[in-house]
Amino acid sequence: MTAPETIVVVGASLAGATAAATLRDEGFDGAVVLLGEEALPPYERPGLSKEVLRGEQAIDEHLVHPPEWYADHEIELRTGTRAVQLDASARDVVLAGGERLAFDRLIVATGCRNRTLPVPGSSLPGIYELRTADHAAAIHEATAGGARVVCVGMGFIGAEVAASLRTLGCDVTVVEVFETTLYRILGPDIGRVLERIHRDHGVTMVFNDTVASVEGDGRVEAVVTSAGRRIGCDLVVVGIGTEPSVELMAGTGLDQGSGIPVGPTLETEVPGVFAIGDVANHAHPVFGPVRVEHYDNALKMGAAAARNALGAGEVFADPHWFWSDQYDHQIQMAGFAPTWDRMVVRGSLEDRSFCAFLLDREGVVRGTVSLDHPRDVRRSFGLISSRVTPDPAALADPEVDLRTLVPAGEG
Amino acid sequence: MAEFVTVGRSDEVPEGEATAFAIGDQEIAVARVDGRLYAFDDICSHRRCNLALGGEIDGTTITCECHGSVFDMETGAPENPPATQPIAVFAVREADGEIQIER
Repeated sequence: MTAPETIVVVGASLAGATAAATLRDEGFDGAVVLLGEEALPPYERPGLSKEVLRGEQAIDEHLVHPPEWYADHEIELRTGTRAVQLDASARDVVLAGGERLAFDRLIVATGCRNRTLPVPGSSLPGIYELRTADHAAAIHEATAGGARVVCVGMGFIGAEVAASLRTLGCDVTVVEVFETTLYRILGPDIGRVLERIHRDHGVTMVFNDTVASVEGDGRVEAVVTSAGRRIGCDLVVVGIGTEPSVELMAGTGLDQGSGIPVGPTLETEVPGVFAIGDVANHAHPVFGPVRVEHYDNALKMGAAAARNALGAGEVFADPHWFWSDQYDHQIQMAGFAPTWDRMVVRGSLEDRSFCAFLLDREGVVRGTVSLDHPRDVRRSFGLISSRVTPDPAALADPEVDLRTLVPAGEG
Repeated sequence: MAEFVTVGRSDEVPEGEATAFAIGDQEIAVARVDGRLYAFDDICSHRRCNLALGGEIDGTTITCECHGSVFDMETGAPENPPATQPIAVFAVREADGEIQIER
């Protein structure tokens, strides 16, 4: 392909804004257009479940760049603008309203939307979700004076929201389909450590149960569960997972429920069209197909896709890393381990300070998880990327620097 | 006028590591790379994590272990998000086996 003159980025998010910034950092002097549905310039989302939800910080403190930064870098930021269709043959992006934007390269960062509660009463006022700054502000406003809240779902969003709402003095009950917190990602043993932390902070936990209906006379008054519990509440916060927003790709075959498929370099099957961040189902060279909804991935994919849009041809092989802050505790995780055969622990689950290594049958470290013990997760990146099979005793030994377990030249 | 204040002993900052020292109510990190000392605010400008404690040193940068922010230890500039604000840096010297920071 010839050198690009116009690069369009759909999604004024951390991933999208980072892609736009990287294009300029790399010396691209053509047109850069950054399209975003929301009214705000790109902002970071981790604070939405924490500082912003608790009212400690305004969203202004979470902007990716100051508002004037975009014009200063000749990036055409169009907020409040929805892209509805990729016309792959014309190489246009069609906007709501019909305007067409021609591109030479397209970077798609359309993210995810939240799953909604598919039960009777789910449209009652008082049911909240969390994805945007507006959502965080709405939850803050509804809970600021203290409230009885049911959090549906105890994944990372549910767990962080529950922690923030307890910090605000709300009465919090959790309804979770699995047997403990964070079960699907972290498994039962680590999940229970987090469960105990939430119980110690006064969260009421209902596991192995789902919401059957929401009741109320004109407004939420109670949640009724499948097991027949009736939990009185003033509001409900739903955090039961996401669906990638792939509608832009309709007609290309890439609008898949598992996300927009991209190859190792983040390029789709449509030449010159890349997908990044939460929406990208990436053919990772180590992990295989993986879709990741975390901060660091958005940042790094944004930068890599920008370089590749300019012809770098860089394989994206990041070992993946994220954190979750709950109360005064921090979880970190690296790698990708949908299942594992053995868990080796350095430190102590009981003492709530550990790094756990998730090993497959061959003894390869597929992932690492820490609680208040972050250094070893960050030092495990090489282990994860190199797929070596370290001695489990060395993994468990806090005196062993994990970086020394990777053969020279690997990882 | 600027003066140098002793914060600790030279052997408290081994090669390739960072150590935090208190000056009054301020926490200052001192790192040693290739024999050279760097002194900077120990508190990450992002979410106030301690940088010396667990921060990973790579060349003249340090990575905060909490959220991955990277700072240039010489200039204090943020090199990688989430931090966007710099950290303060200080002149530092060694004399008679002691580490001294300019105040």
